[in-house]
Amino acid sequence: MTYIMRIHPTSRSIPALVAVTALLAFSACKKDKDDVLTPSTPPANEEEVITTVQLTFTDQETSTEVFHMSYNANDGGSGGPVVVADVIPTQRAFDVTVRFLNESVSPAVDLTSEVLAEGTQHQVFFQVTNGNLSMAYADADANGKPIGLGNTAISGAASTGGELRVILRHQPDKNASGVASGDITNAGGETDVEVVFPLTIQ
Amino acid sequence: MTLLPIHLQFIVQEVFVLRSRFSILWLLALLHGPAMSQSGTCSFRLSGSVIDQHDRTPLPYAEIFLLEVERGVVADEQGNYAMVGLCAGSYTVRVTHLGCEPVIRKLELRADLVLDVRLEHHAHELHEFEVARTRPDEHVGQANEGLDKPAMERSAGRTLGEMLATMAGVNVLSSGPTIAKPVIHGLSGNRILTLNQGIRQEDQQWGAEHAPSLDPLTSERITLVKGAAAVQYGSDALGGVVITEPVELPRDTGLHGEVRAQGVLNGKGGGGYGMLQGGVKGVRGLGWRVQGSGRYLGDSRSANYMLSNTGVREGGASATMGYRDHRWNSIVYYSYFTRELGILRASHIGNLTDLNSAISSGRPWYTGDFSYAIASPRQLVQHHLAKAEVGYAVSDRGRVQLTYGYQADDRQEFDVRRGGRSNIPALDLFLLTHTGEAVWKHWIGQRLHGKMGVSGLHQENFNQPGTGVSPLIPNYRKRSGGVFILEHLPLGSRLELEFGARLESTLLHVAKYNTDDVLITPEHAFTNHALSLGANWTVKDSLRIRFNISSAFRPPHVSELYSAGLHHGAAAIETGDDQLKSERSLKAVVDLEGSWSEGRTTAQLTFYAHRIHDFIYLRPAGQQLTVRGAFPVFQYTATQAQLVGMDMRFDQRIARKWTWEFRGSTVRARDLEQDEWLFQMPSDRVENSVSYEFSAKGDRSGLELGLTSTLVLQQERIPHGLDFSAPPGTYHLVGCHASATKAMGKQQLRIGLRGANLFNTTYRDYMDRFRYYADARGLDLTLWITCTFGSPRSAK
Repeated sequence: MTYIMRIHPTSRSIPALVAVTALLAFSACKKDKDDVLTPSTPPANEEEVITTVQLTFTDQETSTEVFHMSYNANDGGSGGPVVVADVIPTQRAFDVTVRFLNESVSPAVDLTSEVLAEGTQHQVFFQVTNGNLSMAYADADANGKPIGLGNTAISGAASTGGELRVILRHQPDKNASGVASGDITNAGGETDVEVVFPLTIQ
Repeated sequence: MTLLPIHLQFIVQEVFVLRSRFSILWLLALLHGPAMSQSGTCSFRLSGSVIDQHDRTPLPYAEIFLLEVERGVVADEQGNYAMVGLCAGSYTVRVTHLGCEPVIRKLELRADLVLDVRLEHHAHELHEFEVARTRPDEHVGQANEGLDKPAMERSAGRTLGEMLATMAGVNVLSSGPTIAKPVIHGLSGNRILTLNQGIRQEDQQWGAEHAPSLDPLTSERITLVKGAAAVQYGSDALGGVVITEPVELPRDTGLHGEVRAQGVLNGKGGGGYGMLQGGVKGVRGLGWRVQGSGRYLGDSRSANYMLSNTGVREGGASATMGYRDHRWNSIVYYSYFTRELGILRASHIGNLTDLNSAISSGRPWYTGDFSYAIASPRQLVQHHLAKAEVGYAVSDRGRVQLTYGYQADDRQEFDVRRGGRSNIPALDLFLLTHTGEAVWKHWIGQRLHGKMGVSGLHQENFNQPGTGVSPLIPNYRKRSGGVFILEHLPLGSRLELEFGARLESTLLHVAKYNTDDVLITPEHAFTNHALSLGANWTVKDSLRIRFNISSAFRPPHVSELYSAGLHHGAAAIETGDDQLKSERSLKAVVDLEGSWSEGRTTAQLTFYAHRIHDFIYLRPAGQQLTVRGAFPVFQYTATQAQLVGMDMRFDQRIARKWTWEFRGSTVRARDLEQDEWLFQMPSDRVENSVSYEFSAKGDRSGLELGLTSTLVLQQERIPHGLDFSAPPGTYHLVGCHASATKAMGKQQLRIGLRGANLFNTTYRDYMDRFRYYADARGLDLTLWITCTFGSPRSAK
């Protein structure tokens, strides 16, 4: 087997050279970071998550009579969402404001300003079923299209067992037919919030 | 050593010391092997000389290689060679020489044989462009198919997934026009293993919207193994293996290269590719190659509207250097790949109501004007691969090969978010993988040969902080190690058997915060084995049968064990199950290949049956009401799955210049526990193409024209209650291709045009996850041009 050892020197030094180059190249690639299994950062807070939707009905004439509706998702916890809805009096006109909160963090964060700041990319839709309540937009974004954070509402005759559905759409097509007047059918976009309040008018 | 003097006569003069010594070594090494233990019919001798076809001068140092037995010899300075101790049988001889086109010949060895080989030698150029990587069948009994360079050239501008889908039995699982994953015999994602330059590609294949992060152009040939190949390649090779073959480096000093460019109509973009390679003066066997490519496309268009936000930018580069002689081979390789792609804007929806209204409207809710801009939702992926490989031939009967691979994969996904967060990734994963393998290729006795080895993997998945979103999959560390053996046993000249076994253990450590924000670190251990048995039987020259039965395994992926969260594109909440076990599969493949009328008619039929225990899939588990509305919940569940199918291929040369090709595939996939069809399985598909080839005699210029028809039937075999809408209907597409080749001195120029969906047909595909939102791509035309320079093929 001695002949096997008689390899020309160049043929042996080249693979060695190549291997050394490789080792140098690879050791330089490694990224500095924490050990994978002990992540030092706490779990990411879902900072943009909306947990709570609040509607405030203010009587236009008296300005002092205020009615609230609130939906708290309760962080997906047991018992389901916590929904509170005041009874709305009949035959009145209201200013209705909408607020979005993140109550999964303490203190709670008001995300309404984020929606307002990106007003052209957001729109709140209201759908009333089995209830004598008509909603109308009273605000506008930079393009003169409604956002739906400031609204008016007029209640009619007494009704029970109704529903008020509130939907926040991200990036809707506000120019599509019917969208600016509150019809969601052609809005497209992505639903950020969709909650339902019981609606009683008496 | 009694035979030694006889063979030394071939080495006449030691003019060039280095080369001659190699020849001696090679011959001697050969002798102490089979020649020492001659018995039975394995004592034949093959000898002869290699001479130049033109001037009849001897060509020294040509390599003579028998493909079937992986044995080679180098001719001496006078062009003489000899191999002894050969068994009777039919062999394929490959003769290669610097500056010559390799010559491949078939021969029958029944007695001592003298074979003189005449090579066409281009003495002035000395350009050995690329010796095609010919080697014996490494996948005995497996149906395998390849995409060669011309086929890849014709697919210019397409993704790897789409390129592969031109083969029978391969489909594409896509997410709009930008993301395509290969589906082999009904399986995709984590069940398909991709070998990139011989290294397991590790790049977050758990997501249906995660396309393989590699540039198919770094290779000149892609081989597809349509069977379970876990013995050879380890876990995950359940459905098949996609192999981007490394191209051998040049061994001479000339400079060769290639430049390609392409323009794409649908997307109004294009791409480019450049490659340069050569040897190093004074060091024979040392070669290098650098290569780079890119692709830039804007929004695609369906038949009737724009598919907004479907642009792609892609870039890749690789560099490799290697040394090779008869004993040593070593290679270092590095490649970088990056891709940014837009995801169809209309596919980003909020909840189940949004999804249902998208389906019922039949049109994407947003279609803008054409744009090159990529907005959220989008993905940005970067992949680094580095490889070092050293091999040493201990003798001509044994070779040791060590391979190390390093991969870093960085994946960022950007969602449509509020408050200026759209530029903060919602998913930011860094995956680091080290792989190592040591293989001993060997001969035992006269016939038995194969390889055995150990392999290991160390992988870390890390969620980069700062996303502001709870991670969809947790951090984890995975370590696995395996041992395997794979042996080939030729029985006579017409039958070859293969058998193999692998044992592999995987240890998985997971670190995640549970719902109470407490860090938990569960551990999982999986130990699996795989066995395989294969046979290649050449019944007669015109009929060949391959048979393979093999088991494979796949430990559940972390996403299947621990994923928890909302999947935007699918409008679904997906939850993992940490009690899942490894998938175990058994697949049998029978492959018949026939050729008649002097090769004018060829046909191939592949049948397979595949049973998978603990097959993991997503099963609906009710609805969850959130502040965003209602979402369906899907739970990772295990079942028993059975896939049965058939691939057909039929090629007929009608006249000398006309060819008709037929491809068909069908698969039937059942969930045996629920007694229903499996979700998202490809429907039956038939492809016909007619091509006309024209090339003038003695000229390397040529012209080729072709027309392709693809018929995809509606998928009627679907499980009930799993899908949001009915499968789309049957569709038929017509495509075309034309290419022209022109040799111009040392350069070769090729120009081609490819047309897809020529009639701008409106259709949706069942395997497209975005079929709920929009039609598939409309008419597309691609014009490509390739220029090769320094190629021996272009010189005369």
